[in-house]
Amino acid sequence: MRLNYRAEDGQLYQLNLIDTPGHVDFSYEVSRSLQACEGALLVVDASQGVEAQTLANTYLALNHNLEIIPVINKIDLPSAEPEKIREQIEQLIGLPAQDAILVSAKQGIGIKDVLEAVVHLVPAPTGSPEAPLRALIFDSWFDPYRGVIILVRVVDGTLRVGQKIKLMATGALCEVDGVGYQSPKPVPCDELSAGEAGFLFANIKTVSDAQIGDTVTGVENPASEALPGFQEIKPMVFAGLYPVESHEHGRLREALEKLRLNDSAFNFEPENSVALGFGFRCGFLGLLHLEIIQERLEREFQIDLITTAPGVRYKVTAMNGELIEVYNPSKFPDPSVIKHIEEPIIDATVITREEYVGEILKLLEEKRGTQKKFEYIGTGRVLLLYELPLNEIVLDFYDRLKSASRGYASLDYHLAGYRVSPMVKLDVLVAGEPVDALSMIVHRDFAYDRGKLLIERLRKLIPRQMFEVALQAAIGNKVIARETIKAMGKNVLAKCYGGDISRKRKLLEKQKEGKKRMKRVGRVEIPQEAFLAVLKVGDGDSD
Amino acid sequence: MPGVYISYPFCAQKCTYCNFASGVFPRELEPQYVNELVAEIAAHRWAWQPETVYLGGGTPSGMATGGLDRILAAVPGRGRWQEATIEVAPGTITGERAARWVSAGINRVSLGVQSFVQRELARTGRKHSAEIVEREVAVLRTAGVTNINIDLIAGLPGQSRASWQESLAWIERLAPPHVSVYMLEIDADSRLGSEVLLNGKRYGAPDVPSDELTAELYETAVAELARMGIERYEISNFARPGFESLHNLKYWRLEPYAGFGADAHWFDGAVRGQNIESPSEYVSKTQSGASPCIGETPANPAEERFFIGLRLTQGVLLQPEEWQKFERPIQRFLADGLLSRDRERLRLTDRGVLFSNEVFAEFIT
Repeated sequence: MRLNYRAEDGQLYQLNLIDTPGHVDFSYEVSRSLQACEGALLVVDASQGVEAQTLANTYLALNHNLEIIPVINKIDLPSAEPEKIREQIEQLIGLPAQDAILVSAKQGIGIKDVLEAVVHLVPAPTGSPEAPLRALIFDSWFDPYRGVIILVRVVDGTLRVGQKIKLMATGALCEVDGVGYQSPKPVPCDELSAGEAGFLFANIKTVSDAQIGDTVTGVENPASEALPGFQEIKPMVFAGLYPVESHEHGRLREALEKLRLNDSAFNFEPENSVALGFGFRCGFLGLLHLEIIQERLEREFQIDLITTAPGVRYKVTAMNGELIEVYNPSKFPDPSVIKHIEEPIIDATVITREEYVGEILKLLEEKRGTQKKFEYIGTGRVLLLYELPLNEIVLDFYDRLKSASRGYASLDYHLAGYRVSPMVKLDVLVAGEPVDALSMIVHRDFAYDRGKLLIERLRKLIPRQMFEVALQAAIGNKVIARETIKAMGKNVLAKCYGGDISRKRKLLEKQKEGKKRMKRVGRVEIPQEAFLAVLKVGDGDSD
Repeated sequence: MPGVYISYPFCAQKCTYCNFASGVFPRELEPQYVNELVAEIAAHRWAWQPETVYLGGGTPSGMATGGLDRILAAVPGRGRWQEATIEVAPGTITGERAARWVSAGINRVSLGVQSFVQRELARTGRKHSAEIVEREVAVLRTAGVTNINIDLIAGLPGQSRASWQESLAWIERLAPPHVSVYMLEIDADSRLGSEVLLNGKRYGAPDVPSDELTAELYETAVAELARMGIERYEISNFARPGFESLHNLKYWRLEPYAGFGADAHWFDGAVRGQNIESPSEYVSKTQSGASPCIGETPANPAEERFFIGLRLTQGVLLQPEEWQKFERPIQRFLADGLLSRDRERLRLTDRGVLFSNEVFAEFIT
């Protein structure tokens, strides 16, 4: 957003402002926004204090050599403790915070101080308007009338309407139909030159042609080198999405395609499950991203979904040396051909209050974490740095962290690499038939407990059938846990009183309706909730 | 030839297991109800001569003197009916009453015994005993009513294999030609049922036998009654040869029947209809000249013949296109041993009876 600000020194300054998301799922976007800037306002909540993602994003900003101006917001709250927060910023982030600006955005306190600080502390942009064009894409979205709208920061050169441009990473060529800036509504203009941020549209059909981090240059007089830091964003978390009503498969595909138009970080491919029918294996940046997509599908497109347990991408080295990437348990190779498996590892930062540390440490240990740092950071807070397998995060970690800390814990993480681990595929057999949608990949040492818990849960969720149903958890051919669902005793209506046939019919219709919502695997009818049971299987202490 | 069902929903007390629209209503309603019932029957345009009459309840045996005779007099063909049943609460039968029923045209009595075991009866709200039933069966036989049915319920609170044997032993001793065995229905429509569903403690709900035990008790009854010569001819109905209930058979054979009174149902061969449930609303509606009928729907014999017809031990004779239409479920149920096939006839197996709802649901589209 552009703001023309007349400062106390009498000069008119053009400020280009970018808001960034805070959540770890979108840290790449944040990093591109930071690269587009010369300075950053570090806004800390005066009562909540520094959170794990505050820390992560500050480090990102420091890595980009940005001028960082600490701001303490919400000082109007009764629970605000600005002095303690100042200490926290100094101690935890290592930034001098005696000059942190105290603000209440709600009450308009300190706004001028912030703008003056920006004018005095943040260096002016250095690029030349005459140089070959280089503009950094830091956001994009799809507009049904104008195609993809791209937000750019012009680093060098000038971007004009009618100019032929090239997107350096994807190689896409197009002609600029319009440029402009937000103030706060979109304002069209003729050009954006070095140092300015704004939008452009060029009849681009899909956001995957205009990826965040890519560099826009001119077809004439092109830049020799793209701006640094571009990465193809790869999904980290995968899950199967299935329509509850199998006939909605086509609608689900259309909805996914529409969402994909607007979100290049999200991808999907068709997947077929014996239990759930036709669906899609989808890749996400993280769990929040998954939830957002899920919710949009249900709310905007009104599609009821069954989501299978989220998993991660494994690197499997086969006996013959071949490297296979596996992000779907049903594609997990036969154990006999596996030489070794690597799983993604993250560095996770948790910031919480002292009183919850005990519970959280227990949780982190249970999730195969390795402690790298334990630090008291003042004001009764503790910072924990742990190395954790990503697959331990994707099942139920957030919920459990939240309940262990009563909501007073923040989490941030980044991918630290891959590590060889003895991962195995845990299968669930219902009446002897493997149910693919219930399979998951787990650490060998955890397989027994997870398998046992999972089938205990399934035993409660799958209604009694006309015959006894065996539930088994197995690794390969080896059954590691077993439960039995007793057969139902009867299902019979005794009376047909006084010729009342409608009552009988209603009862049978109701029964039939209930069955429709079940998925049939072999001879067993499995309710939808059972497929969600996998999601909660790590939660050992309750049902 | 069709049947006639007449509903008399008044009871001295509401039984805990009862999930029908019968119960205890104000005394003064009864004579008004009888008047309206007689009027409804008299106003009916008979397209045929009734073959069977069934007076169900409620407790029609509790009707005041004269009422029953007026009601039955309104039904055409008295004296030529093949079967005329009255439902009777044990503990109320006297020689004099039995004689009046017979003179009113009744030739069959259905006794709502439910159990011969005192502590089981006490918890349901019933007031009779095995000895009373024994005495009254004798009274009925003396009065000339030999076509007697005894109702039993499997699955009452506190029932056990031993207590069930006790009830079955009483059946053997009293040797009625017809027995009905119902498995207790647990649903929100009865006090006991809703108590069970809510995990409550009243009405003996915690002592309701498991589904497995109830099913076992039922199967015991099937075997024991067969040994006594009383064979199952429908899921809940057992008779000595020639004593099958002609009236009830009409329901299962999709034959027409007229229905009168509160919550009565009827079927004219094409359309099914139902009267308003509450007796007081029935009275006020009919007194104001309105029809008591609250709903008519076209019958669906293509489906009904399965979920009703398969209740009969003889099963259903299928048409070639029906084998095709229901091929998948039929194959599955044959494989699972719930149905058996004899040429073009399909029957529930013994096991199929216990899971008959599972089977029937597949024939509803």
